[in-house]
Amino acid sequence: MSKRADEGPRFLGRVVTDERLGGMVRLTVEIPGWPGSGPGQFALLQSEPSRCFLSRALSVSDERGERVVFLIAPVGDGTRELCGLQMGDPIRVLGPLGNAFDVDALVKSPGRAVIVAGGAGVAPFPLLLSRMAARYREVFPAPAGEQPGSPEAAGPEVLVLLGFRDSLQFEASAPLRQTAASMGRAGLRCRLEIAVEDGSHGPAEKVTDLLQRHLQPGDRVAVCGPSAMSTAVWRVCSAVSDVQTWFSLETNMACGVGSCHGCVIMLADGTQGRVCREGPVFRGETVFASERVLAGEEVAGD
Amino acid sequence: MTDLSVRLGPLRLEHPLINCSGTMELFELAKAFGPRFVEHPPVAAYVPKTVTLQPRLGNPPPRILETAAGLINAIGLPGPGLEVFVGEELPRLLALPCPVIVSVGGFSREEYVALAGGLKDALDVALPAEWTCRMGLELNISCPNVRSGCASIGADARETEGVVAAVRATWPGLLVAKLTPNVTDMTEIGRAAEAAGADALAAVNTYKGLVIDRRTLRPYLGNVTGGLSGPAIKPLALRAVYELYEAVALPIVGMGGVETADDVLEFMACGATVVAVGSCGFKDPCLAWHSSRELAIALSDRDLTVSDVVGWAHREV
Repeated sequence: MSKRADEGPRFLGRVVTDERLGGMVRLTVEIPGWPGSGPGQFALLQSEPSRCFLSRALSVSDERGERVVFLIAPVGDGTRELCGLQMGDPIRVLGPLGNAFDVDALVKSPGRAVIVAGGAGVAPFPLLLSRMAARYREVFPAPAGEQPGSPEAAGPEVLVLLGFRDSLQFEASAPLRQTAASMGRAGLRCRLEIAVEDGSHGPAEKVTDLLQRHLQPGDRVAVCGPSAMSTAVWRVCSAVSDVQTWFSLETNMACGVGSCHGCVIMLADGTQGRVCREGPVFRGETVFASERVLAGEEVAGD
Repeated sequence: MTDLSVRLGPLRLEHPLINCSGTMELFELAKAFGPRFVEHPPVAAYVPKTVTLQPRLGNPPPRILETAAGLINAIGLPGPGLEVFVGEELPRLLALPCPVIVSVGGFSREEYVALAGGLKDALDVALPAEWTCRMGLELNISCPNVRSGCASIGADARETEGVVAAVRATWPGLLVAKLTPNVTDMTEIGRAAEAAGADALAAVNTYKGLVIDRRTLRPYLGNVTGGLSGPAIKPLALRAVYELYEAVALPIVGMGGVETADDVLEFMACGATVVAVGSCGFKDPCLAWHSSRELAIALSDRDLTVSDVVGWAHREV
């Protein structure tokens, strides 16, 4: 007999570590029964008990078995409450939900993989990088006699471009920078470039300035960040030939599973897409119509 | 185990907990969490999202915002329309192990009749002679988020009577009228639906409200106004059910902020035979099932049956 629905898909997790990082909080949560997620998927999180009516949607930042990491920026009542959680606190988790980044499209393509993240948008990328490295090793096993960790065995270069408002926000990228640095051992070389708008780390510039300099025809670009950044990234990418893009988007959500149609965004073809169900990862051309971008209109919610 | 089964017109429900239309998509839940959601639904009867005659995009985003103890929404009845519903949705609804109450929304009396007639024709072919114990119809004459028809029909006793009577003439199965609370006197509308031949009333749809975007100080929702749901409206909904119970002899489907078995008991005490979970189910898709289990325990602790407790608050002590 199959498992009955009454056993419920909502997990009761417990906070294992709470790190304060650059004005954000990085929670590691032990979630008994967690089935594992794809890179880019999210979960609905809620303190237990909570003053808020709804859960909040947060990307899975990293995971090892039933230990799942979330990076949370305190932007409203719900995220502030989650940021106040400490080691040992219970937390309700519904997930994993939504679709994921297309790892094969990033790994198997002859084009270079590029990651573009802004602010709290760094969240999903530690998991994406480690899944890309694992997939690369499956698709292109190290030749006999070569150590997987040797420099010769290292695979293609992944370009990781990160943008932050200020030096405080920059600190929240530490886990992603560490993951990127360790990917060489796993067979994936990461080249990291960072732009901080207040000039505290090199010239004062934006992540789109980095992208302008580095983007090449054929690149495969995975993006997550504020909606204004995503729109600007699309504008840069659509000017270069044969660039494919995937954007992880964010909106207010209620159900997270496609029931309520509350989290829709306008798509390029005039229809609407549920961020929780058709997304959160959308192909760039699905979301951004060129005339809308020219008008400077933001298409993703804050 | 306590017997929790209830009857709603020709439908037999295993327990009194169902869902509010538009808040639970069983097939989406099955995609996210596995087929157990369609093999063993957490509700005793399933109410899909409101079906309209023509395809609809729904309202422009943003469509939802959390409020104090609740949620405001202005979704606007998006959907593929009756033809696609009958062709693609109905077959898998008929394969569910629980009864289904199809919610329909129209912009005129004729549209409601066309929706009921189209469904009946499809059911007569799919399940001749036996479908009335499997399928019911809920008239959504109360959606606050569309500009014409719907709630403007449900806000007027004569319009309500006209729509219910016209559908009654074509629809032989369970007929539920879902009422709007955004009127001066819900009992007047409830009595009109009863007089026109409704089998049950559902109360309440959401309360019309508005939220302001704190940055721009302009209306936040794309539709400007929306419908408020959640625990914030529970006392308002309890009052509606309480007054309807005194005004009509029909069974009532009570809803509005149901989160726990205690909430279920409160609605039943006010007069609801069936209780529906709406936006509280967003946190936990199995809330209806959990509440039904807790209800069984609560009833047996008090040595009461379901039929004892329905209308309890009206009885003299």
